[in-house]
Amino acid sequence: METVKTKDSAPGAATRPQRQRQSNELRKIFLKTGLIPSASGSSYLEFEPSPALAAARSTPKSLIPPSSALKLACTVHGPKPLPRSATFSPNLVLTTHVKYAPFAARKRKGHIRDASERDLGVHLETALRGVIVAERWPKSGLDITITIIEAEDDRWWGDAPDSHDAPWGMMNVLAGCITAASAAIADARIDCLDLVAGGVAAIVSDGDDAAPRLVLDCDPAEHWSILSACVVAYMPSRDEITELWLKGDGSKAVLSADDKRLGNEALLDGAVDAARGAHTVLAEAVRESAERYAGLALGGPAR
Amino acid sequence: MVEGTLAKLAIPGQRLGSIASYSAGPGTHVQNANIYASIAGPIVIDPAQATAKTKSTISISRSIPQNAATKPVTTKSNPKYNTLPTVDSVVLARVTRVQKRQATVSILVVLDDSAATHPLNPSHTPSDNDNVAAILTSAANPENHSSSDELRFQALIRKEDVRVVEKDRVVMDEMFRVGDIVRGSVISLGDQSFYYLTTARNDLGVVMARSEAGNMMFPVSWKEMRDPDTGLAELRKVARPF
Repeated sequence: METVKTKDSAPGAATRPQRQRQSNELRKIFLKTGLIPSASGSSYLEFEPSPALAAARSTPKSLIPPSSALKLACTVHGPKPLPRSATFSPNLVLTTHVKYAPFAARKRKGHIRDASERDLGVHLETALRGVIVAERWPKSGLDITITIIEAEDDRWWGDAPDSHDAPWGMMNVLAGCITAASAAIADARIDCLDLVAGGVAAIVSDGDDAAPRLVLDCDPAEHWSILSACVVAYMPSRDEITELWLKGDGSKAVLSADDKRLGNEALLDGAVDAARGAHTVLAEAVRESAERYAGLALGGPAR
Repeated sequence: MVEGTLAKLAIPGQRLGSIASYSAGPGTHVQNANIYASIAGPIVIDPAQATAKTKSTISISRSIPQNAATKPVTTKSNPKYNTLPTVDSVVLARVTRVQKRQATVSILVVLDDSAATHPLNPSHTPSDNDNVAAILTSAANPENHSSSDELRFQALIRKEDVRVVEKDRVVMDEMFRVGDIVRGSVISLGDQSFYYLTTARNDLGVVMARSEAGNMMFPVSWKEMRDPDTGLAELRKVARPF
């Protein structure tokens, strides 16, 4: 483990979880399709919890868990008829809903979708709209509903709010939503150009004197401050991006001397690399869904 | 169909071949002169006819093959791009409302090409009515995820589309009753809310109906069905049962 200077090293106090992965190493992803039988397509996604959580469980110092890892469920309902009030549409009409469970984050969420949840829904819709072949499903609608069961932290819980604050956890959540929704859409057998995967990269600083560095799939709780972060929805087989969300200021961040790229460019490349990693998991989950479907055909009862 | 092709699965975005050697079928799309899969499923290569100078069609199967024996090896029918009703597809629908000029129905299932009737060759599908019952009774019909009427596609059968002869003498109350199961053919995608169906063919019309007493009736002629218990006859536009 690399030695990182942290501000909070008061004896007895809970310590900040630290990144034990390489800077280009992603957390493991658990992704499974078809868990909700009443939906035409569904998926469940989980990120690997930080090792700090296991450590805190074995030797508890505090009742507060040191970090949280994303868990979400995605359902796809449709294609179904449009509501009576809707006008004629020759294309598939996509609606996305993202909702945090009340217990998902450290701060309790209400039952009505708030601005950040609606924002996530819009980002997700943009990401998916570029992937779905909408003209093959005239006069029908597709509802994509995501329930976030456990959200990512925006910062370590022990940190006081400061100027570096931004909803960094939302970016990880969006990447997870994109990957999970892509699996659920493939599970529902809606025509897509490719499997779109979400990826996050961030430029982080682990102390006042530490040089900023680029990390893929950052857990915001593990870093002292995040300078900027980027999430992309990426289609590997076409090398296209359908959604790009960049937050913070990475232009001033100077990366290591041998990296001549600008901050934002490096961020974008990093996010695409992270999405490529997520795509391997996604492809395997979709293949599993297709096998289950084909197995149903071959092993099912003859009518 | 080549043996063993069913085991080979594609996922969306997977390159299947070049358009120089194949033509793109359902479940695929073309990008930069290459054919890519659009859905996850088994790859089906439909070999080209030796006589015609056509390329083999590569497609991804969406419907579950029932079993290898009944699967049509050479289908000349129009390719099935999705599970939605399209023009000329045969559907089963339940009557929800009968008015003077039209009947409103909700589409229960879009019949596969293999399950659809072949009017020219009735002996080809002798058990089509058994098939209908099987489709309607199976709750786990994969093409029928929706369960309530609101979630189903709605369609209209207009008075003039009920039958071919004596179109102006049609009385809708004597053709359909609420709750009947009707086999119809889609003639138009219609407006924002309704598809348009026709039953103006011998093999189209009411396939299942209950009498006033609530018993399942059997067809006795092209316009009459009878209750086996009470013996009373009721008027319907009956589909040819075989």
